[in-house]
Amino acid sequence: MSRLKTGLKTYRIMEEVSRIQKEVFIPRDDSAYTAIPAWRSYLPVILAIGGGFLMLGARLQIGSGFISDTALMMLALAAYLIAALFELTNLYAPSEMAKKIGLWSATLGVFFNLASWLVRWVNAWEFELVQLQASGNDANPWIFRYIPFANLYDLSLAFAFGAGITTLVLAHRKNFQFLSAFTLPIAALILTLARFIGGEHSNLMPILDSYWRPIHVGVASLSYGVALVCFAIAVVYLIKDKIKVEAMAIWASIFSLSVFATISGFSVFTEGVYRAGTFIPNLTGGKPINALFRLELPYVGLTLVGAGLLLLGSIIAFLIYIYGNKGIIKQEKAARGEFEDKLSLKERIGEIKETEAVEYIHYQSAKTIGHWMLRGAFVLQIITVIFWVSGIKSTSDVQAKLQAQLTQKPAQYVAVGKEIANKQQLSVQQMAAITPQQFDQAGRQHFQQNGGKMYLSLNSNPVEFAGLLTALAGTFFVILFAFRTDKLRERLPSLESLDSLMYKTACLAFAGLAMLLITGAIWANESWGRPWGFDSKETGALVAWLTYAAFLHTRISRGWKGRSSAYFAILGFLLVIFTYLGVSYLLPGLHSYA
Amino acid sequence: MAAIEESIKTRNISKPKTVPVVNRILDFLSSVRFGVVLLCILVFLSILGMLFIQQNVQGFETSYALRTPAEKLVYGYLGLFDIYHAWYYSGLLLLLSLNIILASIDRFPSAWKYISEPKLTATRGWLLNQSSNAVVKIGGADETEIAQKIQSAFAKNGFTPRVAEDTIKIYATDETGKKDFSRTESKKSLFVFGENGKLNRLGAYIVHVFLLTLFIGHFVALKTGFDADIRLTPDTNPAIIRDFNLNQKTDAIQLIEINLDRQERYNVQLPFTITCTEIEQKLIDPNGSIEINNTLDWRTQIRIDDPVYGQTIADVSLNKPFSYRGYRFFQASAITMGSASLMTLELKPEAGGQPVTVKLKRNETATLPDGTKIAYSTFVPDFVMQGGQPSTRTGEYNNPAAILDVTTPKGETTKVYAFASKLPDDAPINAPKAGYRWHLAGYEKSPLAHVLSIKYDPLNSAFIAWYIGGIGLIFALIFVFFFSHKRIWAMIERTGENEFEVVFAGHANRNHLAFEDKFKTVVESLASNKVKEF
Repeated sequence: MSRLKTGLKTYRIMEEVSRIQKEVFIPRDDSAYTAIPAWRSYLPVILAIGGGFLMLGARLQIGSGFISDTALMMLALAAYLIAALFELTNLYAPSEMAKKIGLWSATLGVFFNLASWLVRWVNAWEFELVQLQASGNDANPWIFRYIPFANLYDLSLAFAFGAGITTLVLAHRKNFQFLSAFTLPIAALILTLARFIGGEHSNLMPILDSYWRPIHVGVASLSYGVALVCFAIAVVYLIKDKIKVEAMAIWASIFSLSVFATISGFSVFTEGVYRAGTFIPNLTGGKPINALFRLELPYVGLTLVGAGLLLLGSIIAFLIYIYGNKGIIKQEKAARGEFEDKLSLKERIGEIKETEAVEYIHYQSAKTIGHWMLRGAFVLQIITVIFWVSGIKSTSDVQAKLQAQLTQKPAQYVAVGKEIANKQQLSVQQMAAITPQQFDQAGRQHFQQNGGKMYLSLNSNPVEFAGLLTALAGTFFVILFAFRTDKLRERLPSLESLDSLMYKTACLAFAGLAMLLITGAIWANESWGRPWGFDSKETGALVAWLTYAAFLHTRISRGWKGRSSAYFAILGFLLVIFTYLGVSYLLPGLHSYA
Repeated sequence: MAAIEESIKTRNISKPKTVPVVNRILDFLSSVRFGVVLLCILVFLSILGMLFIQQNVQGFETSYALRTPAEKLVYGYLGLFDIYHAWYYSGLLLLLSLNIILASIDRFPSAWKYISEPKLTATRGWLLNQSSNAVVKIGGADETEIAQKIQSAFAKNGFTPRVAEDTIKIYATDETGKKDFSRTESKKSLFVFGENGKLNRLGAYIVHVFLLTLFIGHFVALKTGFDADIRLTPDTNPAIIRDFNLNQKTDAIQLIEINLDRQERYNVQLPFTITCTEIEQKLIDPNGSIEINNTLDWRTQIRIDDPVYGQTIADVSLNKPFSYRGYRFFQASAITMGSASLMTLELKPEAGGQPVTVKLKRNETATLPDGTKIAYSTFVPDFVMQGGQPSTRTGEYNNPAAILDVTTPKGETTKVYAFASKLPDDAPINAPKAGYRWHLAGYEKSPLAHVLSIKYDPLNSAFIAWYIGGIGLIFALIFVFFFSHKRIWAMIERTGENEFEVVFAGHANRNHLAFEDKFKTVVESLASNKVKEF
């Protein structure tokens, strides 16, 4: 037994040595490492930033007739998608033209993204200036009061820019230009989220009027952007390292299922319906107000349930394929006399029987079925999005429709009544004293007062829609990676260089998140005399930072490189996203404005 | 079987040397692996703390009330409602600090040796195993000339060069070139070693020093200081002060300690007296509400009367705290009940004549040319009479009125109400008083009171922790991750008359791609004929 163990250990060491030898000592493609000399390699970065500031100058010169920041943001979104499309094309069908278009579209995207952010700065200044002048107030606040770091829309714009500029900086090495194919679709998703959050200007909370805000939030957006790029490199690493696309599909499907399960107040899988949030216009001209009632959109719930079932089916099929196949491979190895952990002597000397070969075919069938189910789920997700958008755009008489739905399911009245009570910050005793009938009454009263003003908008459910789009994009990429995967792997840089770049970006993200935490603590100390209060956003950023710290230290202590590091990088970015979005929308705290 | 047992019994087995328990514990505590495990546990507990609403967060009371008695008991016992102050969380932070200290002590000597006694020479095999390496032919008169060329190339590219000579023992080879392991030969070689950024190797220790400064400073600040709130109003009206639980002048502050859904209050005596002399709220639209979304800034003016240091007048604005004897005063929030800091009164003489305009500050008095004295009594934003007494319906400026104590030149004192709204002349409440018809022509809006947060930190530990520890940590991390330690070797071997073969090798602890570019630049600047590159 001990000999078996020693043999196994030796086998593993030899395998590792052979892997390292392959990775390190195989002569590398020199051209892949060649950087374009000097400043010319950074030309896209220089042009994007310089162009952005020229647009700022033009905005100041031309005035409010200049292109709006929202339009610039949409241009950035389009440019990011085009860049990603061409870079993906270049990966599957190499072409210098596609590569060039990809690079310059990415440059254009970063340029529009920065221009949008800078123009928004001037717009925010003018927005308040108009109010000050109209009321005869001669106050002239300093310009940094209007820096677009005041809400989640601004932060999303800066986050996408952080990801774009990091991608562009890394693209100064030709062999890393392909990264746009992976990073820019995520940046585009962030901009889509921003589009649905809505870019209406609102007056700044006075506590945010501090010089620490541009420092703190600026560092946040850049480090989030670097973390995004690190995540994309980790995904690329896993593809290159021959991780099964089916394993990726399982994780992507689990993500999609959790999105479907949680949106619309958990109603998709419990009632088979999707209800969209409603708005009431804001009479002061700011962002519309959440009407608290949700209106059922036709077919959306059904298609989501269908997509969910197909995803569940694909998960089961892929699990059968992966684990069944693993068993077969184990036995094949045993038959060849190769050592494998936890194998009995009988298994080691056994031969593949005919029935096992049949099983092998079964597992291959499971794989095929899984992929078809995944494609089906993708189609249904597209249909869902179409139903979602058309449902929101075509619904006009919200009050009547909502009234009809509430007559059938009046439970929403109580839920709305409770939300109204929560917003009034009643004490526990006051809350306990309210009966369900009173909550119901409060809900009905709210509906009577505001029902006529309620309307549906694409902006009323920004996170839910962004979640649906992210799930759709995740499924799309898994289907794409399953197509000519070996060709794709060939086009990617070596594992060594990907690992090195992943480490480098993780280091930057770690340093950036540390700056974010410290500048935030100093700002809090200046504003409240409390540097650290375990506010949910503070804790979220701390958790992400600790995860990157663990990433870096496992490299030292356990030599965890490559795949293990990639998993850490993915986890770190998911925590960053949770801090960026989840905390703002799900948890109470001081940062709920952003 | 018995024979085997016998042989086992009789064999003299030497016991392996045991490592003392203390050393094993220290090894365990100083291991990076242990540190990583601690980090993972901290991540897990912090996520738990985010998912369970903590007792100091708004909304805790409601969420706590909705929990079942069993949940309250179990989660409360586990400390999940105040996880960041639970003994095990503090214990983990303490263990992490200990781990950082011990790991640094354990590894620093070898890191110091690494940079103070660099590896100047190496074998050819070792050099060719480095991630960047190249073998090139260079022409020259002798080794010294080649070494000088290399030195100058190294220096030009930012490496500090050093020359060393070494005698290396290698296995002899036979005529066919095969190694003869029975014989060794000595070979003298000249080396040029260059390095850049060697202090980067100590970067991790600098990071740890600042991280510990941060931890310790923050811990000391928590242990030696406290936080409290004080509700200050400049209004001297005792009824308002009593009804809204405010202070106009005080020498005590109240500490609030939260224990699940209970709040316990403690009085803390201050070594001085604070008097609120004025509060202001700069509004975006002066005609709009005094809500937060229409506010540019808040300012509270306070006077400190200290028996030791005398009187001090100070302003506390948003993001501009005021420090005094270890106490820092911050703007926290406002009690948005409408009030006014400056009133403009328009007085029409009963006997006829030009109206008189008077500006009256809160708590102040004004004297008219005829000798009438006007003293501020109070301001109500939404005037209503309740039980024969003036009161306010809401905190909004719906029906603002100034209540004044007016003393006529004859010495008669009367209560006067001046309304902002235009009232009919025949309305009883608008009847002339003290010889004038009174109108509140304007007022500067201000909230009734400001809530100041007071932080007591006698040792300035929070400042040390976050400004020295925190900013130091930022610079240390930049130093660690944005720079690297680059090393390069060149082994010079004569291969013929005026011909030398140089083995170049090098590596960097970070940013390998940039190092490879640099390495290529160095090699290409020297190589007359590159032999091979791995």
